[in-house]
Amino acid sequence: MKRFSAFICMLLGIVLSVNVFAQNQAVTFPQEKMRISEAFGIVERQTGLSIAYNEDLLDVGRLVTLPPRKNLSEAMKTILEGTGTRATYQGKLILIVKDNEVKDNQLRTYSGTVRDDAGAVAGAVVMIGSGQVNTVTGPYGEFSIRARSGEVLRVTMLGYKDAYLSLGSRTENLEITLALDKNLLNESLVVGYGSMQKKDITSAIGSYKPSELSSRQVLGADELLQGRIPGVNITSASGIPGSKNRVSIRGIGSLTAGNEPLYVIDGVPISNTSADAGGWSAQSMNGLSEMNPSDIESIQVLKDAASAAIYGSRATNGVIIITTKKGAKGAPKVAVDASMSLSQLTRTDRLDMADADLYLEVMNEAIDNYNMQTGSTVERLDNPYPGKPQVKMLDMILRTAFTWNANVSVSGGTDKANYYLAANARHNEGVFIGNELDKYNFKTNVNTDIKKWLSVGATVNLSYSRNNRVPTGYDIGSSLIPRALEQRPWDSPVNADGSYNKGGSELLNHNPLQILNEENVYIKNFRMYGSAYARFNICRGLSFKTSFGGDFMSTEEHIHYTSQHNYGKSVGVLTDARKSYTSMVVENVLSYNRTFADSFTLDAVLGHSFQMDNVSTAKQTGQGFPSDSFDVNSVAAEYVDVSTGMSAWALQSYFLRATLNWKNRYLMTLTMRADGSSKFAKDNRYGYFPSVSAGWNISEEPFWNAGSINAKIRASYGSTGNQGGIGSYAWQALAAGGYNYMGDNGLGLSSQGNKDLRWEVADQYDVGTDLSFFDGALTFTADAFIKDTRNLLYSKPTAATAGYTTFTSNIGSMRNKGIELAIGGNVGKGDFNWKGDFNISFIRNRLTSLIDDNEVLATDSMHALKVGKEVGSFYLIKMKGIYQSDEDVPQNLYDQGVRAGDCIYEDVNGDGEIDTTNDRQFVGSANPKFSGGFNNTFSFKGFDLSIFFTFSYGSSLYELWTGGYRLGNGVWTPLKSEALKRWTGPGTTNTTPRAIYGYTWNSTKFANTRFLHDASYLRCRNLSLGYTLPSRITSKAGIDKLRFFFQVDNLFIVTPYPLLDPEVNVSLNAMNMGYDFLYPSQPRTFSLGLNLKF
Amino acid sequence: MKTFRYISALLLGMTLVAAPACDGLLDQYPHNAVSSDNLTDADAKLLLTGLYYIVQNKPTANGYAAFDILGGDLIRGGASGNKIPYLLVQDLVTEAGGFISGQWNGYYTALYQVNNFIQSVEAMAQTTSTSEMLGTAHFFRGLLYYNIASRWGAAPLITRPESKDVGCSPEADVWEFTASEFEQAARTAPDFTSKNYVSKEAAKALLARTYLAMGRKAEAAALAEDLIASPNFALAGFDKIFRGQPNMEEIFTFANLMEESSVNLSASLYYSRESPVGGSYTYAPTREAMDMFVPDDLRTAYSVDSQGTNDVVNKYGSGEAGTDPLCITRLAEMYLISAEGNGLEKGGLQRLNELRAFRGLPSVSPANERDFETAVLNERRLELFGEGFRWFDLVRTGRLGETMPLEEKYTRFPIPARDLGLNQLLEQNPLWKASAETPENE
Repeated sequence: MKRFSAFICMLLGIVLSVNVFAQNQAVTFPQEKMRISEAFGIVERQTGLSIAYNEDLLDVGRLVTLPPRKNLSEAMKTILEGTGTRATYQGKLILIVKDNEVKDNQLRTYSGTVRDDAGAVAGAVVMIGSGQVNTVTGPYGEFSIRARSGEVLRVTMLGYKDAYLSLGSRTENLEITLALDKNLLNESLVVGYGSMQKKDITSAIGSYKPSELSSRQVLGADELLQGRIPGVNITSASGIPGSKNRVSIRGIGSLTAGNEPLYVIDGVPISNTSADAGGWSAQSMNGLSEMNPSDIESIQVLKDAASAAIYGSRATNGVIIITTKKGAKGAPKVAVDASMSLSQLTRTDRLDMADADLYLEVMNEAIDNYNMQTGSTVERLDNPYPGKPQVKMLDMILRTAFTWNANVSVSGGTDKANYYLAANARHNEGVFIGNELDKYNFKTNVNTDIKKWLSVGATVNLSYSRNNRVPTGYDIGSSLIPRALEQRPWDSPVNADGSYNKGGSELLNHNPLQILNEENVYIKNFRMYGSAYARFNICRGLSFKTSFGGDFMSTEEHIHYTSQHNYGKSVGVLTDARKSYTSMVVENVLSYNRTFADSFTLDAVLGHSFQMDNVSTAKQTGQGFPSDSFDVNSVAAEYVDVSTGMSAWALQSYFLRATLNWKNRYLMTLTMRADGSSKFAKDNRYGYFPSVSAGWNISEEPFWNAGSINAKIRASYGSTGNQGGIGSYAWQALAAGGYNYMGDNGLGLSSQGNKDLRWEVADQYDVGTDLSFFDGALTFTADAFIKDTRNLLYSKPTAATAGYTTFTSNIGSMRNKGIELAIGGNVGKGDFNWKGDFNISFIRNRLTSLIDDNEVLATDSMHALKVGKEVGSFYLIKMKGIYQSDEDVPQNLYDQGVRAGDCIYEDVNGDGEIDTTNDRQFVGSANPKFSGGFNNTFSFKGFDLSIFFTFSYGSSLYELWTGGYRLGNGVWTPLKSEALKRWTGPGTTNTTPRAIYGYTWNSTKFANTRFLHDASYLRCRNLSLGYTLPSRITSKAGIDKLRFFFQVDNLFIVTPYPLLDPEVNVSLNAMNMGYDFLYPSQPRTFSLGLNLKF
Repeated sequence: MKTFRYISALLLGMTLVAAPACDGLLDQYPHNAVSSDNLTDADAKLLLTGLYYIVQNKPTANGYAAFDILGGDLIRGGASGNKIPYLLVQDLVTEAGGFISGQWNGYYTALYQVNNFIQSVEAMAQTTSTSEMLGTAHFFRGLLYYNIASRWGAAPLITRPESKDVGCSPEADVWEFTASEFEQAARTAPDFTSKNYVSKEAAKALLARTYLAMGRKAEAAALAEDLIASPNFALAGFDKIFRGQPNMEEIFTFANLMEESSVNLSASLYYSRESPVGGSYTYAPTREAMDMFVPDDLRTAYSVDSQGTNDVVNKYGSGEAGTDPLCITRLAEMYLISAEGNGLEKGGLQRLNELRAFRGLPSVSPANERDFETAVLNERRLELFGEGFRWFDLVRTGRLGETMPLEEKYTRFPIPARDLGLNQLLEQNPLWKASAETPENE
């Protein structure tokens, strides 16, 4: 808070510097009679000055008679005639004081308290005149200050409107009430290497401040942002606690070079490294979930290139700046937040499988069809356990999960120092039995002014987590939901004697219960990140800050399969993987700030930064253990895999920013960054990333006469780079070790290298406007942008005859363009208040060039790249319907066994064959046409109700899981819904094929549009109801605030997607996004909790 | 205040000095590899060891098992698939499927490494040692091209590292090149010392196999007889050969040690969960294949087995608990090549019946050449089951269509669609282009 107040003082100093010419300015009044309040409005607009008055002294509703045109001091005299008050001029402020009070030049001590509707306000700045004399209110809002009678006391506090009081003879028990400022334009935003007021910003920056009323009970910062900021789209991999999210800012930034934004936490760029060591493909872990969301004060998203370019080569995907909480001057304040939650997997009714009768009906129909068609004699199936009820294995592995969270923080400070301490413990269960994540966080943030010229500070975050994982991934055979479904209706996981029925013998697939019981898979993570700085105030306006930031993570991954597990090889298998990650950054920044001739402000930053990341990994897999209770590799009979690895990359940068501001009307910011990265060959090492942005605060112009409306327009251009996803040594041609034979060391050529690799660069143009009406009760922000990315980095597929199947190179360019809108409303009457935030963004992506513009580059069996198409487009065979009679089937397809009831696929090249080489076409995209969020918070007396929706329209999701759709290709049980819809004769259906044994034509032969679904949705992300006890009750117990709340996360979803969740993704890669493999949906969670402050 | 100015100036100065010093830290090199731009002579030996690893592993499990999977004796294991062999062939052998492209990528990326090695070593001073190393490399190149020729027929002939597009050479040229590589290896490779290393004898065995495929039957038989006469080799029981025991039958076998291997036939393809060591049970023998092994046949127990309700291929016994050696050629194949190469007319029946007797089976006496060929093929089917021979035996003798109702195009692999798209000079095998000429086109 000390830094805030210093910042505010600095701003005030600029604003309040004396302007003697002001009083001679002419003022024109459009009509003769008006109310004093209206007249004041005209004076303010025409002179650019502000008028402050005390409503107790002056009745502004009074009608006065005005001259058509007068100079300012004359005009003010006329307005105030007969009111017993007069105007005094203090810089840009006109203060209305009592006429009879004369400065008596005698200094007295004035004391009193500052409060708001809820109670005392600590940390408010109380000042006299232009702020040379100032103090800060104590924990009970109290202050005392030396001043003279007739002077005006001014109280400022971030988030409140300024309040004034004319000092007179009364010196004690003064009461000043602050009113909340709804005008967000005065909000302070953190930008790269500094902070600015929103009204001075010329680029596109989104901001979210988590509050008790609206924040969800989540694990990480990225989840908090979901649906809050236009242009920021967050897609989760699955509903498993700690799973990864894809945070995409303004569309697709890159093909392979990473699409993750840069995270800057308290000034330190944090790599969003995985919190897993990569030893287990069944589930990855999100590094951001190591953070404690309760510590977050605010999140700023630098969306356009002009704001992000100061972070140069890592800024193409935007920058997320997270500022954590700090202490404020005053007695210690304690905040306690606690909650308990219950979660359940939703929409499981979508996975109802056929029961025994239906199953046999479909399978035998499939076999009959096959026998009839081929003249074979495949035997029909019988129910070996007639009358046995259907076994629902899914229900046996799911549960109602219990989660609790407790957070305590203590903060406070003195004139010279402040502190913030916090501790958090969380137990987060997943909906699968055994899936749970425990997390402990500690944080300290200390800042102190040692000398007038030197201040130092440090912030440290420590976290420990233990994540007990369960397999839900795509590329593992033990993935729980598919394994629970792909069995026969009568199959049981366990026999009466307790032994398992095994996949591949008694069961058709691996036994999910056996998987859960016989494996112990966890990650332990220790992470410390933080920074320390020293700032030297060299002379007025010039300061130098040197800082050191570090992010250190140690990961322990334990994957133990007992001898009973299907992957336990009957002897037990243990993989023990470790990873240590260190990232260190040293930064030196010189800042200069000066106002010239009261109207022109220059803010400049010049800096150097060096960052180095090191990763070291070790992994051994042992097998053969004396018994299942042994789970360390030192007793393993043999080692099947031992490997260690080390890699490093470094980045050196120089950066410069200049912000020019003339009378708050005309604003301009110029930035330049030069980045050198070890990932490129020497000649291509450095990239240069400039930006320029300009803004015009129209409402600051003298001619602007709509006082309650603020308007700003802005435009920017910038260039940013990307090096994210490419390997640390991608440019080098290498012969690697490890190609051993018979125990002898061997070398093999491992990488062709590409010395021509260079930075991927994005040029971005942005225009935007910020409007606010009714003194900020209604705000509106709109931005339009075009982002052109060139030198796209890509592992280009090459012909195998060239020795490698891929080659990392710069292959093409693409364009993202979009429109973002945010509307905010805040109205209240009496005790009732409504606050609404709505945001929506429309983003389009298009590939604009490839090495060979005509080629279609298939990136997997479902997606392809082509110039003119969106990255993430689906490239599939199109299913057109169902053959209703054998006569409709072309002869050569008939020869291959296609009959009435089978799928009709579109033959694009008309050769009579259906094949993936010639007949695939572009049929949709994984990217939404628009998406956004809508939050409403209502408050009435102590009650608050908040409801938050997120929505997305126009994306498609491919269901890669075919188990329930096969209808006779294999003997798995079909989905009940699918079995009931199947084709059984001409005219029965044109969407679901017949049952046929043995043939893959309808299900697994081609990736086709039968499995591509509309993934649009409207989700009630959060509903929260809170009650705050009246302060008259709580204050007796010494409590500042006590609030109870009830929350429901993911209350409902409206979507045409037929299975669990339209938001999940197997791959978070931009090219291959948008397919599902029965990933668990985000659970529905009911929480009860309290927020306590004292 | 003065002190402070001093400190600030010092810090600023330090920053300016320190910044360029960080530049050196931007040179980062990997810890597990060296630059391949300038390899030394000493690296040649290491690279040769690397070639063993590469040629052993790159073909992947499918490369080793393809001719069994497509030969009509295997069907999909487990619940997922159909149980009809020819449908399995139709599913797997497609332009776009990973089954075909995985093998293509494996052989050609391995070839690149062999070509690179040959080019580097040829540039060095020639000694006995380099000559032997080149002999081994030519063996590997021959082995890769045998696999390419038998699968695709016409294919790109690449004899040096090449990043440009390359078109297909005629099938006959690919076979000629294969034979010439083995001929060169048979002259310069080291003498036989261990089954796990390439030798002149191994090259001769593969050359015999190649000649047989090319129809040069007499030459094939002569080479096979050479090896049968060699004191290094003698027939041995399957319990030795297929359970890693010492024996004199194996001529060349990739050791495929667990920590050096990415090819595990029993775990990824053949064994089932019912075995104590586990396995994914992707492919299972057909009923017919199970029944062709009669109880008297000494090979039965180590060829097939029943694990619970699952019938399995049993030549590789480690399951998920380990890996098994990959036998490339052994003496029994030479008996069969000799028999087939000589034919009934030149006394081939003797070698056939010698082998049968050794395996515990009575003699056969086919009446004519056609019956004799059938008898040899049947014997190969039994002897070499699960070792990657069956499909090509049917193809080279023109019997694939008799065995399964498959069109002629299934006698060659299609060139993968991926490479057709990336390599402009590559043309699809005419058999696989035939579908464009179907009457529906009009």
